[in-house]
Amino acid sequence: MSQALSKPAHFHRKWTKGALFYAALLLAALIWFTPVITLILTAVKDAGDFAVNGAFSVPKSIRWANFSEAWETGVKNYFWNSVIVTGCKVPIGIILESMAAFALTHMEFKWADRVFAYILIGLIVPIQMTLVPLTLLMNALNLIDTLTGLIILYIGFGIPFGVLVMRGFFRTVPTAIIEAARIDGASYFRIFFRIALPLAMPAVVSLCILDGVATWNEFILAQIFLRSDSNRTLPLGLVEFYTQFSTQYDQLAAAVLISVIPVVLVFVFFQRYFVRGMSGAVK
Amino acid sequence: MSTSAKSSKTALPTSASSKASRGSRLYLLCVFLAPALLIYSVVVVYPMVDSAYLSLFRWDGISPTKLFVGLQNYLILFTQNDVFWIGLKNNAIWLVIALLLPTSIGLGFALVLNTRFRGSHLFRSIFYFPAVLSLAVVGLIWTWLYEPDLGLLNQVLGALGLKALERNWLADPGTAIYPVIVAATWNGVGLPMLLYLAGLQTIPVELHEAAKVEGAGPIRRFLYVTFPLLRETTLIVLAITAINALKAYDIVYAMTNGGPANQTQLLSTWMYFLTYNYNQVGLGTAIAVILFSLTIIFAIPYMRFMTRKT
Repeated sequence: MSQALSKPAHFHRKWTKGALFYAALLLAALIWFTPVITLILTAVKDAGDFAVNGAFSVPKSIRWANFSEAWETGVKNYFWNSVIVTGCKVPIGIILESMAAFALTHMEFKWADRVFAYILIGLIVPIQMTLVPLTLLMNALNLIDTLTGLIILYIGFGIPFGVLVMRGFFRTVPTAIIEAARIDGASYFRIFFRIALPLAMPAVVSLCILDGVATWNEFILAQIFLRSDSNRTLPLGLVEFYTQFSTQYDQLAAAVLISVIPVVLVFVFFQRYFVRGMSGAVK
Repeated sequence: MSTSAKSSKTALPTSASSKASRGSRLYLLCVFLAPALLIYSVVVVYPMVDSAYLSLFRWDGISPTKLFVGLQNYLILFTQNDVFWIGLKNNAIWLVIALLLPTSIGLGFALVLNTRFRGSHLFRSIFYFPAVLSLAVVGLIWTWLYEPDLGLLNQVLGALGLKALERNWLADPGTAIYPVIVAATWNGVGLPMLLYLAGLQTIPVELHEAAKVEGAGPIRRFLYVTFPLLRETTLIVLAITAINALKAYDIVYAMTNGGPANQTQLLSTWMYFLTYNYNQVGLGTAIAVILFSLTIIFAIPYMRFMTRKT
């Protein structure tokens, strides 16, 4: 009886509840996104408009030239350096990490757990703990201020997380598959490249994305080991750009936006892999 | 035909050939493991050990002789180095806020966005988005928001008639660390949110239905059903957040560079100053060792968890 009576009221209440829910969520999203909106507005304004009206107002006119000017002032250089570093680090790193993870999961040996624990230490080491000896080492090898040197360091620091993610995946590959291939006479190389790695493609893609974004964003190693302006990667270049031209907000914002665009594209197209990769690392 | 080939090969790994195959297995194991282990050991492990060793010397990083001083560097830091204490205090503040704010905000977002509704994916992306930005970029963006004259924060305060609250946020020595932590929080919410969303997916819907039938409201369902089942996720979230909080560096460098008057130094930034600006390699590496020791405290439960399920 009560159900029959309350139906219209209940329906109405549900509707208002839904609307309130959306309104609250939209407001939260808007506040959450304010810094990004401010960045975009600043990047398309001309300097005069910014000086008079501040960051958070509708631009009088869209000034695309901010982007080309920022690009030509140095961002171009930083951008391509970041592309080179990320493009070399990620594939090499993933091959090394998956091979190690494969050995840890499917090439039964006594020390596997200890080796894994040894690798995991790297996840918690503050980079400061390595800087001085690395500076001496890189100096001795003539790798200071080179992208090659930086790539080698990135590969080394990437190993723990990569092995963690790939090991998590390889553990879900049934031993029976590997055993069957062994019995058929396939070598470990064949099994790895023909069976394990193709099976692990979802994990590889997740790792590529997480690792790509992390490499693209890395700051401290680049700051310590890159010295000349022509070698700087984006995050470092932007901060230095800021200390030099701290009043040219329009160009700076455009420069920041340029550096963020590749990450946004990756994020939009491969979003589900972020979740998969992170949960892979935890499980 | 193939079956016969198979059966002949199954017979292979027996006692007669085990020694030879063990040798080749060892070789293969090296091929698979060695490259990763080698580069990791050279780039991460050896420098870590060497840092600990160097922290026992007085050295400027250039001269060929180092003077062994035992634990004196640590003693100097704790008794004579005021900025070290500022860094330690700021790290503590940062850690406490990082364990409270991004984690609970992330959990809140995850709870709201766990249900599917029109646009839930878009909202997930919006709330996660700051986490993919580099901390240097986050630092720059927020530096503009805090800018005293043209920055959004003071403008909003002015528009709301709260001019009294306006200030030069990043220049106030007593409080400048807090606006930096707020910026870091904006970036730090994404990861806990993601992990909690993944954790929530593993909770069977039937449990909630059952609790609902029993008459439990949403708050009691959260307290007695959801949260206990998220215990493992919470442990991971807290550990990762703590480890990341102690790693903070770039955002401070980008926003305040430790200033004003060293009031926003962290152990990590002060290590950089001492080592690379003041050539005090012994003190710098000693700070790194202290920072690492602090990290280990929070990392132990995490590492236990990671190596447990084998």
